[in-house]
Amino acid sequence: MADAAAGASGSGTRSGSKQSTNPADNYHLARRRTLQVVVSSLLTEAGFESAEKASVETLTEMLQSYISEIGRSAKSYCEHTARTQPTLSDIVVTLVEMGFNVDTLPAYAKRSQRMVITAPPVTNQPVTPKALTAGQNRPHPPHIPSHFPEFPDPHTYIKTPTYREPVSDYQVLREKAASQRRDVERALTRFMAKTGETQTLFKDDVSTFPLIAARPFTIPYLTALLPSELEMQQMEETDSSEQDEQTDTENLALHISTDDSGAEKENTSVLQQNPALSGSRNGEESIIDNPYLRPVKKPKIRRKKSLS
Amino acid sequence: MNRKKGDKGFESPRPYAFIYFYFYFFSYTTHQVVCINNINFQRKSVVGFVELTIFPTVTNLNRIKLNSKQCRIYRVRINDLEAAFIYNDPTLEVCHNESKQRNLNYFSNAYAAAVSAVDPDAGNGELCIKVPSELWKHVDELKVLKIHINFSLDQPKGGLHFVVPNVEGSMAERGAHVFSCGYQNSTRFWFPCVDSYSELCTWKLEFTVDAAMVAVSNGDLVETVYTHDMRKKTFHYMLTIPTAASNISLAIGPFEILVDPYMHEVTHFCLPQLLPLLKHTTSYLHEVFEFYEEILTCRYPYSCFKTVFIDEAYVEVAAYASMSIFSTNLLHSAMIIDETPLTRRCLAQSLAQQFFGCFISRMSWSDEWVLKGISGYIYGLWMKKTFGVNEYRHWIKEELDKIVAYELKTGGVLLHPIFGGGKEKDNPASHLHFSIKHPHTLSWEYYTMFQCKAHLVMRLIENRISMEFMLQVFNKLLSLASTASSQKFQSHMWSQMLVSTYGFLKSISNVSGKDIQPLIKQWVDQSGVVKFYGSFAFNRKRNVLELEIKQDYTSPGTQKYVGPLKVTVQELDGSFNHTLQIEENSLKHDIPCHSKSRRNKKKKIPLMNGEEVDMDLSAMDADSPLLWIRIDPDMSVLRKVEFEQADFMWQYQLRYERDVVAQQESILALEKFPTPASRLALTDILEQEQCFYRVRMSACFCLAKIANSMVSTWTGPPAMKSLFTRMFCCKTCPNIVKTNNFMSFQSYFLQKTMPVAMALLRDVHNLCPKEVLTFILDLIKYNDNRKNKFSDNYYRAEMIDALANSVTPAVSVNNEVRTLDNLNPDVRLILEEITRFLNMEKLLPSYRHTITVSCLKAIRVLQKNGHVPSDPCLFRSYAEYGHFVDIRIAALEAVVDYTKVDRSYEDLQWLLNMIQTDPVPYVRHKILNMLTKNPPFTKNMESPLCNEALVDQLWKLMNSGTAHDWRLRCGAVDLYFTLFGLSRPSCLPLPELGLVLNLKEKKAVLNPTIIPEAIASNQETFSNSQDEEEIDMDTVHDSQAFISHHLNMLERPSTPGKNSMLHEHHHHHHHEHKKKKKKHKHKHKHKHKHDSKDKDKEPFSFSSPASGRSVRSPSLSD
Repeated sequence: MADAAAGASGSGTRSGSKQSTNPADNYHLARRRTLQVVVSSLLTEAGFESAEKASVETLTEMLQSYISEIGRSAKSYCEHTARTQPTLSDIVVTLVEMGFNVDTLPAYAKRSQRMVITAPPVTNQPVTPKALTAGQNRPHPPHIPSHFPEFPDPHTYIKTPTYREPVSDYQVLREKAASQRRDVERALTRFMAKTGETQTLFKDDVSTFPLIAARPFTIPYLTALLPSELEMQQMEETDSSEQDEQTDTENLALHISTDDSGAEKENTSVLQQNPALSGSRNGEESIIDNPYLRPVKKPKIRRKKSLS
Repeated sequence: MNRKKGDKGFESPRPYAFIYFYFYFFSYTTHQVVCINNINFQRKSVVGFVELTIFPTVTNLNRIKLNSKQCRIYRVRINDLEAAFIYNDPTLEVCHNESKQRNLNYFSNAYAAAVSAVDPDAGNGELCIKVPSELWKHVDELKVLKIHINFSLDQPKGGLHFVVPNVEGSMAERGAHVFSCGYQNSTRFWFPCVDSYSELCTWKLEFTVDAAMVAVSNGDLVETVYTHDMRKKTFHYMLTIPTAASNISLAIGPFEILVDPYMHEVTHFCLPQLLPLLKHTTSYLHEVFEFYEEILTCRYPYSCFKTVFIDEAYVEVAAYASMSIFSTNLLHSAMIIDETPLTRRCLAQSLAQQFFGCFISRMSWSDEWVLKGISGYIYGLWMKKTFGVNEYRHWIKEELDKIVAYELKTGGVLLHPIFGGGKEKDNPASHLHFSIKHPHTLSWEYYTMFQCKAHLVMRLIENRISMEFMLQVFNKLLSLASTASSQKFQSHMWSQMLVSTYGFLKSISNVSGKDIQPLIKQWVDQSGVVKFYGSFAFNRKRNVLELEIKQDYTSPGTQKYVGPLKVTVQELDGSFNHTLQIEENSLKHDIPCHSKSRRNKKKKIPLMNGEEVDMDLSAMDADSPLLWIRIDPDMSVLRKVEFEQADFMWQYQLRYERDVVAQQESILALEKFPTPASRLALTDILEQEQCFYRVRMSACFCLAKIANSMVSTWTGPPAMKSLFTRMFCCKTCPNIVKTNNFMSFQSYFLQKTMPVAMALLRDVHNLCPKEVLTFILDLIKYNDNRKNKFSDNYYRAEMIDALANSVTPAVSVNNEVRTLDNLNPDVRLILEEITRFLNMEKLLPSYRHTITVSCLKAIRVLQKNGHVPSDPCLFRSYAEYGHFVDIRIAALEAVVDYTKVDRSYEDLQWLLNMIQTDPVPYVRHKILNMLTKNPPFTKNMESPLCNEALVDQLWKLMNSGTAHDWRLRCGAVDLYFTLFGLSRPSCLPLPELGLVLNLKEKKAVLNPTIIPEAIASNQETFSNSQDEEEIDMDTVHDSQAFISHHLNMLERPSTPGKNSMLHEHHHHHHHEHKKKKKKHKHKHKHKHKHDSKDKDKEPFSFSSPASGRSVRSPSLSD
């Protein structure tokens, strides 16, 4: 209700095209205006010459609430009796329920000084402008029931590829990749050299071949042994498919370890790249009895005694 | 005692072999408890106690000697009674109170004596404990003694190594760890014990460490218990298999624990964050286990096995009872190709030593060769199985070449030295500058070569008795030992776990029934290798191959070979083996040929392995059916063969002989035949996919040499270029290399090597052809590893090596200063690459920093060739502690080289300082090693660096500065020898007083005033004559020789005269050596007597250093 009021109050000031476009809003406004006219005529009838806008609004609101309540109650009563259309008796019961003396109604309706309000003009249903269609909408294929919404306009999904001659020459590509990488590396190292400490091979010139100064590490073996993130990423990219195969063969190898060694005897090539161990072990670990996996014991009580 | 009896039955020229073993022993240790209850990483200190259970074997035992170094001993109790003790370590300072004695000969003798004085095998030790008188009666009843010793260790310099990274956090978070290390018996450095490989006992080991740490030690982990405050835990280990103290080890750190998924008794440990690498690296170990257990038909002797990977390792692999300590740098991920076989080799090596070396220990030092031999031999078998026969044979050949080169250089490696009843003079290795009587006096290089020879000799024994028998012998040794190990203490049973040369040979003769005595005599009891020179002629009339085989057995390091020698002759009709008898005087051998020369008939030629091949025989000599000849193809003699045959024969051998060793030999020989035919043969080999990759790799280098020799007639593109292009470059654009794919390791290695070899090509101006340089630069430019499964760090490193190889000396105009402006444009391109690579390494470091290492080497090459100003600053900064060890070594190598080339005193001092102060023992050892290999000057050289201060400094270094590390001290001795020789350094002033006195003794009438003049005018003569002195170790001690020498020198001042004298002396020397042993010995005895007579008169004391010293040594008593 508050929304409706707010909408009504704003309607006078705003004549924005937004509201007019919405038919529901339009209807709302028209009704409100009619109600206002009714309230005003009732006030005139009662002898008022003028009224503040706020009081008119309040009365309008009250009237609207009253009528709405009648409608709502009447609907409830009718539904209560398993009907969909309210009858006169429903309305009567409602009015009675709301404490209205129905008997006074015919007399009130026939009062002499009543003002007659003309019916609000019936406006034509505004015609929704036809959307610009580009091409024929596709009909539903047979497996889609017809009650589903139609296909959107073709222009929303149709692609119109445009062709430009791509660089597919292998040599040029390699050349490009190489020089690009080299440029990046050079720029990066130069930047690092410029911003940090450097060493030089020529005493008289520090800028032509700047070497980033050697910096000792606290734990040098970590950087030396662990693969860099880039390499890790690369590895994941290159052999994600192969890894699956590897784990498969490995599981096999685990079961038939004796055969495996025999097979490998023949395969005495330069190196045998043994596949990395996979997670198959993780499950087993719980049952492995290894002294290093056993829990640490609590100190013996005997000791405590001697200490205390 | 029974051992001595047994020795008699064995016909060996070693009457004294075991006399000193157990002879001096008055007691046995049966059980030892080691308890370390506090380890402080901050202060690097250790507090603990040991408890030895000892059985006296003689009555009136009143002193017990134990080994202990650098430990502070607080208290000794025997059976709960306080015992007095004396601590005296003569090796702390080898030569005392002498001011000007700077003679290496003197030092070596003194050092050997000092080591003897504390040798546990002779019943000696640094710590002498007096048995309290209350217990004498107890001892007389031969009852058990329990010796309880409280000790602490503060900032140990050797034996235990602390690694404490200087970062924030608790010790565990920092990755601080500590481990035992050392060379041979070094356990005495960290707890008192009988530090011998022959004294076995059972062990209980307890270590209380921080709760976040793990203590890994020998034997079974019985339990781990928290201390009362729950902040620490105690690891209790029991080792029930009798083990020598020298095989006890320890590693404590915040290790990550990995239980081997295949063998749950095996546990791997590594430092934090490295677990993924550990998983990958050790994933292969179970196969090694299976292999050894299968061939030895014996289970792994210990109930568990532990591998620990630690930083700043002393050696890459150290095997101890039931655990091995490895360098953490052996760990690698699955992307690394080159390190994988190396690491696997290390794992296999350590495991072989678990059986022979740890479980089976040695009776005495002279039996060391058996253990090293067997473990090396079974490791070789593993190699053969794992990497194939080609790799194995190649390895054997490599090892053989190494040992031959070393023996020829230094004069021989003796596997089984025999030391006569304590006579110092009876030195079986008088050609060396150190004593081989103790492992602790050996040069590290000698010891490496010793191990190499040992396993080669084992292989010779296998050749003689067959592998089956060999393995049976090993199995017998192992099963005897494992029976013995399960027994309760019975000393004679436990001694079954010790191997002796005698016992080993006896097993061999029992098992095989063959007499291998000649073989042992030749290779084990005497040093030296055989040097054959072979040539041949084909006698067409008789259809006989006349083979001439000469030997050189007079040069140092050689020996005469008498016995069978296999010769393989490849003829047109097939390959035939002939066994020649090499005898005293027969040089010529007639070998009948099987085939007539008939090259017109087109027929396939059968090879040794039964294969039949088509050959183009047009290159052959029309009259001869011989294709090629090989002497000793199976390498069944430790020898060097120089064989002469025509170039086409070498080419046939390269192309068609299937043995990789033969191929390698022919490649080496073809270097001398730079002809188009050789070129073709090498190129064909390069292209052959089936050919062993190492052969193809060496063919690359040979091809480069040949191309350089025939540079004026060379046609076509630079050698190997078109080949490389065909193999590794894109079909459409031949100047661009394919994106890397290293799935085929053979071609990976070839791809890596070819550019390195190509960079060695030179044009007529002796410059690297521009085309080659551009080619290599392009390889670098287009290198693309994005699609590769493997890391390309080694490949890129080799590309930098290739760049370095292409550098030629700069053309310099009157020594102008090198500046950027006059930089050669090619060098500019190279520098550009190096700069970029080196800088990129800072941002994206490669595995083991291989690229940085190569860059540093390349920069040094540029400096050396005069393109870049020579300057050690860059290298010095990379050599600092805190860089990865490979980088440091590469940088130090450059500094060493700089020191030599620029004769920089400052840098030599810097290096010497580093030797004394660097925290990493391996680096210190390596600096000494590199200085010895690339010395700033040698003994006959004039150098501004050679001065008295340096002599004093080095003397001090080896005399007292390196007492905490045997290896380092021996390294210092090696360096001293290289720089100054055996005798008094020539830069020192002559001990004039001695000279005068000697002259008097000789009663030579000489005006003393002319002496300095004569010396001054003959500086060169003098230094040369000193060189001559060192030929005989005893000369210096023999004052007579000393005098006559100087007299000779004074009498013959002119150079020509000196030469003739030198020759004479030389001759005399050889003559002496040819004498029979007994005489030799006798002579020495005589000398000895003489020596002692002279002793009193001599101005500087030559007295036996060991005897004199103990009085003066500072003793540390309670």
